[in-house]
Amino acid sequence: MKKRLKYIILLILIFLLTGCSHENHGSLTVVTEAGFAPYEYYSGGKIVGIDIDIASEIAKRLNKRLIIKDVAFDSIINEIKTGKSDLGAAGISYNPERALEVDFTVNYAVSRQVILVKENSLITSSKTLDGKVAVQLGSVADTYLTENRPDLTIVREKKFLAAIEDLKDNKVDAVVMDELPAKKLISKDIKILPEEIMSDSYGMIVKKGNEELLNVCNEVINELIQTGKMDEIILKHTLLKENKGENNIFNKFYKTVIYDGRYKFIFEGLKNTILMSVGAVIIGIIIGTIIAIIRNYHDETGKLKFFNLIAKTYVTIIRGTPSILQLMIIYYLIFKTSSINIVIVGILSFGINSGAYVAEIIRAGLNSVARGQVEAGYALGLNYRRVISYIVFPQAVKNILPALGNEFITLVKETAVGAYIGILELTKASDIIASRTYDYFFPLILIALIYLTITYILSKLVDKMEKRLNNAKN
Amino acid sequence: MLKIKDLKKDFGEKKVLKGINLTVNKGDVLGIIGPSGCGKSTLLRCINYLEKPTSGMIILDNKEITNKDNLANLRKKVGMVFQHFNLFENLKVIDNIILAPVKLGLLNKKEALIKADELLKKIGLEDKKDYYPRQLSGGQKQRIAIVRALIMNPELMLFDEPTSALDPEMIGEVTSLMRQIAKEGMTMIVISHETNFIKNFATRIALMEDGQITLEGTPKELLGKLKKNKVKDFLSKVENI
Repeated sequence: MKKRLKYIILLILIFLLTGCSHENHGSLTVVTEAGFAPYEYYSGGKIVGIDIDIASEIAKRLNKRLIIKDVAFDSIINEIKTGKSDLGAAGISYNPERALEVDFTVNYAVSRQVILVKENSLITSSKTLDGKVAVQLGSVADTYLTENRPDLTIVREKKFLAAIEDLKDNKVDAVVMDELPAKKLISKDIKILPEEIMSDSYGMIVKKGNEELLNVCNEVINELIQTGKMDEIILKHTLLKENKGENNIFNKFYKTVIYDGRYKFIFEGLKNTILMSVGAVIIGIIIGTIIAIIRNYHDETGKLKFFNLIAKTYVTIIRGTPSILQLMIIYYLIFKTSSINIVIVGILSFGINSGAYVAEIIRAGLNSVARGQVEAGYALGLNYRRVISYIVFPQAVKNILPALGNEFITLVKETAVGAYIGILELTKASDIIASRTYDYFFPLILIALIYLTITYILSKLVDKMEKRLNNAKN
Repeated sequence: MLKIKDLKKDFGEKKVLKGINLTVNKGDVLGIIGPSGCGKSTLLRCINYLEKPTSGMIILDNKEITNKDNLANLRKKVGMVFQHFNLFENLKVIDNIILAPVKLGLLNKKEALIKADELLKKIGLEDKKDYYPRQLSGGQKQRIAIVRALIMNPELMLFDEPTSALDPEMIGEVTSLMRQIAKEGMTMIVISHETNFIKNFATRIALMEDGQITLEGTPKELLGKLKKNKVKDFLSKVENI
């Protein structure tokens, strides 16, 4: 038992260390949110787009390898500020507030913010724009409308695709977004109003004071514009056509899963979801057991006051804050400067989170054993360690194991939060595919079915385990 | 052999033991009687430190029990039998009996198994050694709990109402085992509501009321005092239940 535990800890350490050794001095890390065609999107399993082409020109000039990181749009500035990424390229518009946080390159594209409405809408211009308007959270349209149009109700969606879905379902009256991606989205009943609500220029961002990189970026961008290559790049990505075809379920399945190797995202997502769940549950059990023993030992003997206080505080903090905040704090504050693999950050964060719940599960399990069992052990001269390991724990297991199984099921779903820092797990995979097919519904249902399958199998296993433990009892 | 001096125990505001003085000599069978809530069980549990006394002294074999080393030693020398048997539910009968002597290094496993077999034969339950406690009757469980305490070779045995959780027809098998052990010279402290049993069985009886020992003596002495004392009321009350 002890030996096995040692091996598990050793394995985790090796895992962590290999994760840490990803550091790359000869590389340029570009951070983006790859759901913003034609600036950045997935094609053939890779992130491509106008921003990516420009970034790879910059990497070429620096003679560095290009690494692309896909995170949530509102995490991009954080990535640059903390030095986790070198260059932010995500169709980011200049605004003075952002310029206080990071440095902007020269503009390389002008974006026109346009209004999308339903074909039969009464809204015809920015003057008649009224009611509920959907935007992408943190986008330039969001900032502009928030400041200048207090008369509107603004619905902030994480993805502009979700904003379009809102419009389709009549949940909002209009969408305000960049013209280039908007053009790719107009369907039968949605139109773009000719008048722009504002225009804006896109720049890339670097960490404040990183003159060296900033100069190279400006140089490359200016050259691309002067030689006419920039127009070529923009044209290439704008004209890219999505396989349309008939709107039946088979075609939807084909588009979502098979076309362009999209199943790769689902497999990768599934792999990371499982990896994070299993890793986190192992860490959770280790932490949880230690915490539960400390607290139980304290309750039993009155010793270890200090450690008990720490254990209690840990459980209070972890159970009292959202797991998404814990993940972000661990990623952006604790691992601020290290280039640790994000899946490992996910495992650690969810493991630390789960540890608090596991601790309470084990503690409750130990407390569920009749008091007389413990006293009989003490009365025979056995000490705490022996009473716990030969008498209490074996009896607590039948209460602990099923609860642990349920915790594992919860954890599988919890890992969806990992998408927030850019971990490609199942929900992120669905996001990526939706951003290419412009159809949110089908990938979401597909991913939901995958989650359901995993959790269904797990809950059946828990049921079985429960039955076996109960049978052993009778 | 056992000396208790001015033993006090508070549970928060509530004073449960208000200064107990007691001496038990080798070979004594001390029966403690008294109404429920008078502190009998607490006194017994204080003797082997399942409850930590608030103040006072417990002296076993001329050694005061205070620190941890003494405590482990004390518990090896003092066996305890509980009202609800408290056999380890996860272990077979045989493992219940040999767990403590083997883990504490008093006997090696082979010796322990031989001795456990002997003891089980003595109580006629050798065919039950691979049963789990849940498969046994209350009387069988309590006899095995007694054997589990006996294998430690204790100098003193504490019985905390050993028959009060039993069906009436099973009381006899437990009390006769206790008689047998007493006959072999074991020093015992017994709390029981079986007044008849106590009267015939104990060499000395102590009456506890409200956290104090109010009367003490041989059964004969005590019976002599009964006529003018409320002990009689109590004893007859118990008998009538």
